[in-house]
Amino acid sequence: MEHEQDERLPNAEEEMTRIMEEASKKYKVENNVMFAKLSDVIGHMSKDVVKWSREKSLWPMQFGLACCAMEMMAFGSPRIDGERKGYLMFRGTPRQCDVMIVAGWVTKSMIPRIKRLYEQMPDPKYVIAYGECATSGGPWWESYNIIQGIDQVIPVDVYAIGCPPKPENLFAAFIKLQDKIGGRSAGDTKRTLSPGMWKH
Amino acid sequence: MTIMRINVGPIHPSTHGVLKLVVDVDGDRIENITPKIGFLHRGVEKLMETRSYMQNPVYTEKLDYIAPLAWDELYVSAVEVALGKEVKEAAQYARVILLEFQRIASHLLWLGTFANDLGQLFTSFMWAFRERDIVIRFLEDISGSRMFYVNMRVGGLDKQLPADFRERAYGIADYIEEKVLQYPDMLDSNSVFMERTRGVGIITRDNAIGLGVAGPVLRASGVEEDVRKSAPYYIYDKISFRTPVRSEGDSYARYRIRYEEIIESINIIRQALDSMPDGDMTGLPLKLIGPAAKPETVVVSRELPRGEGLIYMVPDKQKPYRVSLRSPAFINLAALSHAAKGLKFADLFAVLGSLDVVMAEIDR
Repeated sequence: MEHEQDERLPNAEEEMTRIMEEASKKYKVENNVMFAKLSDVIGHMSKDVVKWSREKSLWPMQFGLACCAMEMMAFGSPRIDGERKGYLMFRGTPRQCDVMIVAGWVTKSMIPRIKRLYEQMPDPKYVIAYGECATSGGPWWESYNIIQGIDQVIPVDVYAIGCPPKPENLFAAFIKLQDKIGGRSAGDTKRTLSPGMWKH
Repeated sequence: MTIMRINVGPIHPSTHGVLKLVVDVDGDRIENITPKIGFLHRGVEKLMETRSYMQNPVYTEKLDYIAPLAWDELYVSAVEVALGKEVKEAAQYARVILLEFQRIASHLLWLGTFANDLGQLFTSFMWAFRERDIVIRFLEDISGSRMFYVNMRVGGLDKQLPADFRERAYGIADYIEEKVLQYPDMLDSNSVFMERTRGVGIITRDNAIGLGVAGPVLRASGVEEDVRKSAPYYIYDKISFRTPVRSEGDSYARYRIRYEEIIESINIIRQALDSMPDGDMTGLPLKLIGPAAKPETVVVSRELPRGEGLIYMVPDKQKPYRVSLRSPAFINLAALSHAAKGLKFADLFAVLGSLDVVMAEIDR
């Protein structure tokens, strides 16, 4: 049966071939220096391929702090289903993860633990600050035990705004993160969600 | 045998928030459990003293983020008692319907995550979240937010319910009943589920009373206690419903209690919808001036999805002078070391899951 291809999800094989071809065009090989340059070509080609595969297989870490974790769970639930776009491979250990989603307010006693989790993640690693509390302290900004945003402790790549952000917002955050990894400008118009998604 | 001490948490892949457990094990048997709490502490009670009356629901809702509406309503009723305001009749019906929908959503989330704790029975998670999402979207259409509704006002709700409220509520009640009745096929006939819950994590009747546990955990140990029955508020005395009670006190009994409460909630919703009068249900605006007379202590209790919640409030002119909260989840967590003593280590999170704790409410 003929399957209509989603514009956002090109065939993996085609994509790989395209990247290889583009890379080989970019770095033209002279005949007489073939052996000297071959390693360069492979190096450049593999750089693009690695970037592409990093972008397409993000494994988030399964840990929730507070309210936003409920919406993070809804992100994996049947209606939203992050897995259909390849984002949901929630792992229990930081050593297998690329993305840390900080979902909830961060208290002073949690700071060293979150730092440690971040350090345990292998490079390259990315952080999504999910929700007002992880972004700026949220309604607890006056509290004596809350830090005003996780970016005071670890570097943040994408902020998702809302109290709590809808699970669709986490989708948008992941797409922005992919844009960032892929070297495109964040919020590239070509890469918005398919309009059908919002109907459900 | 030597006793080994294991630290579990505070960050773990289980779905119960940031709780640290210091567990002493003898081989594989649990000798003692000490829960360490406070990783989500943010000083809610103190912060509530600095905000005006109707700014505070934003804080109370985030106490129990699985059933925010329940705490919201509890706080607003404390303000109502302090100000001496009556709730409009139509709003009483509307509140009961919304609260019961919230109870269903809370129990469904618990059901999904509990089966997940028992070893990745992921179908249950998917099914429960499918139904929960219907309820959440219904509440979102009424209030405008998916999780934190903040639509309780003193004397009523923030606005009239939408015109198709009754029709949709009936439809959702029918849908949930149809789907929930399929759950025993998935869980009760699943040997993994039964073996990991039946006879595991027993809290005896004496222990339950002695520890003061609340809600479904108390009723699963054979004590018939429900604030909706013992001190009826709103229209609960006009509605006939039953309080599920079981005598086993194990994880399975706690699952059955919550499961039957979902069915009872649907029953309550239907009865309330049948007799719901039309009329104005909008409450007072957000700007409120506190009681003019000498402040008297206000104590209000409600049956939250997790048990009896209680607010103690000393009102003042502009804002509450002191607010103290009694969290049912905090007391239920104390029962963990009694319930899990002597079990295998692998059962620890199965028992913790069956107690249905919410860390934000415990740490405050």
